Amino acid sequence: MNAVTDQLAPPILEVEDLRTHFFTRDGVVRAVNGVSFSLRPGETLGIVGESGCGKSVTALSILRLIPRDLGRVVGGSIRFEGRELTGLDEQEMRGLRGHRISMIFQEPMTSLNPVLTIGLQIAENVQRHLGLSKKAAWDRAVEMLSLVKIADPHRRVHEYPHQLSGGMRQRVMIAMALSCDPQILIADEPTTALDVTIQAQILDLMLELKEKLGTAIIMITHDLGVVAETCQQVIVMYAGRKVEEAPVEELFDRPMHPYTRGLMAAVPRLDGRLEGGVRPRLQEIPGIVPSLTAPLPGCPFEPRCAFSTEQCARHMPPLERRGAAHDAACFEVDRVLEKSLV
Amino acid sequence: MSEPVKLEVTDLVKHFPVRAGLLQRQVGAVRAVDGVSFKLRRGETLGVVGESGCGKSTVGRTVMKLLEPSAGRIVLGKADITSLGRQAMWPHRRNIQMVFQDPFSSLNPRMSAGDIVGEPIRNFGLAKGSEREQQVAALFDRVGLRPEAMRKYPHEFSGGQRQRLGIAKALAVNPEVIVADEPVSALDVSVQAQVLNLMIDLQEELRLAYLFISHDLAVMRHISHRIAVMYLGRIVELAPKEALFEQPLHPYTEALLSAAPVPNPRIKKQRIILQGDVPSPSKPPSGCHFHTRCPYAIARCKTEDPKLREIRPGHFAACIRREPGETQPALAPAQH
Repeated sequence: MNAVTDQLAPPILEVEDLRTHFFTRDGVVRAVNGVSFSLRPGETLGIVGESGCGKSVTALSILRLIPRDLGRVVGGSIRFEGRELTGLDEQEMRGLRGHRISMIFQEPMTSLNPVLTIGLQIAENVQRHLGLSKKAAWDRAVEMLSLVKIADPHRRVHEYPHQLSGGMRQRVMIAMALSCDPQILIADEPTTALDVTIQAQILDLMLELKEKLGTAIIMITHDLGVVAETCQQVIVMYAGRKVEEAPVEELFDRPMHPYTRGLMAAVPRLDGRLEGGVRPRLQEIPGIVPSLTAPLPGCPFEPRCAFSTEQCARHMPPLERRGAAHDAACFEVDRVLEKSLV
Repeated sequence: MSEPVKLEVTDLVKHFPVRAGLLQRQVGAVRAVDGVSFKLRRGETLGVVGESGCGKSTVGRTVMKLLEPSAGRIVLGKADITSLGRQAMWPHRRNIQMVFQDPFSSLNPRMSAGDIVGEPIRNFGLAKGSEREQQVAALFDRVGLRPEAMRKYPHEFSGGQRQRLGIAKALAVNPEVIVADEPVSALDVSVQAQVLNLMIDLQEELRLAYLFISHDLAVMRHISHRIAVMYLGRIVELAPKEALFEQPLHPYTEALLSAAPVPNPRIKKQRIILQGDVPSPSKPPSGCHFHTRCPYAIARCKTEDPKLREIRPGHFAACIRREPGETQPALAPAQH
């Protein structure tokens, strides 16, 4: 495990029964439907799931970045360092965003201003939050660029986002996000748009900076490989709910929820043996994700699940402790565990 | 006994002119594809893998004749299609079809799914009326779509179903070669598995030849028989997949394989982190295009163009530090 993570320290972020709904013409979309978790200082927490599972909306809800005319947090609590965020006004939230909690996105161009130099954008952020002088803020920008290993930071600081490659823009985003020494960095698919060799550079950089600065990370991704390589604790989400949570090695050794198992069996593997020319069938998860506007009475995964029973169709399985630090929301965990992993 | 060659590409070049100034004079060229050769046999999947800008999609579009090749030769079946115009190419299109990354943008939103799949059959005059309808129904069944789906419109389908529809449309004219450009990249993993399984089943049943273009190494490793690795417009390594994954010979392949995250937290890989970004294909480095980022580069790599040579039987690599017949597993890092 990680030296920086203090298992005994109180969590810096506690999310409880978070519910975020979107109000559309087709009805209420329950994008996040009762999600709870906590994050400890210096920890990397992965949130994994497929499109529409609510992983990104969870992150946006924490920072209150859900567009108001589309949806809002309708229930639950978000406590950061013991302070309730759901009741804060916009002014107070602005003081937190980009300062104590910051976020990076899949596409850096959505958060970089194309008509300002990258130096100015970083300097502006530290001026506003830390109250540094113009000169000190500019120095900080150069320092941050060199921290994220941008070669020749004194020159690059004067450049505009379009002059940089995709990988460099992502570095600039990270530099900006970390410029005020945040307690939490939320990374939403930070490497999904990048090529694999650049992805390796960025993940490497994030982990190195985390060690150096002690920032806790919430890593939102659809990629089990990224989870395995970067996270300590993992949450699996399906249809707006948390269906499983465990420390990373435990999750990969003993996945308990049929959906988690399905995900693991569905990805083509880079490890494992190749038998001369044979292409083993990938395990499919039949069907598609359920509609979030008309939630099922039972388990949302029931229609696609190989272990489903009548009970599963009628009742929502509660999230329960099933092993050391291992929670799963499934009535049939015992039967699932009897079946060996492929 | 080897299967007949269905697609043969020799020294394929595709340059895009770079124009500038008031008169839009050509000031340079992006060498998207810079001398690529391969053979694709019946029933075989040749994977083309590489990062953005390596030219893999341009290879696909050029062999489809959606782009005109700048030089080289493309032979489809027995016909040389390199310089065929639109009209002359038409009859050959029956033999080569394409499956796209985003099926939605390649499906006409105003046509029913049944008409979309039946359109190529009509265009080529292969069947009419109820016979055509029967063929379409058989195609729907073959790709795992319900017959009722024939009356639906593209927006009523999920991503995975749209890709099934795209595959049905490609199969409608009984092609021998399918060019699939990132066909599963936009899909969630659970659905991706469905589409990959379907493509493998269809290949085995119909003996299709796939030119499968993807950036995803795990997908490549799953579906391909042989894999070509591209970097800045050139194939740097071409080998049966077992050999490529177990003993990559080109330093770029080695770095690419080591960079891909593996979904197993107990494996701590020795990563080769490449420095810097891929250079621009409008100004590729001299000599070996990879020498600027290669941990093994020596002085000669800057000046000498490496040729793709057969180092081991069936295993080709374009690296001057490899010699045909050698068995040395790893290269020694360059002394700096």
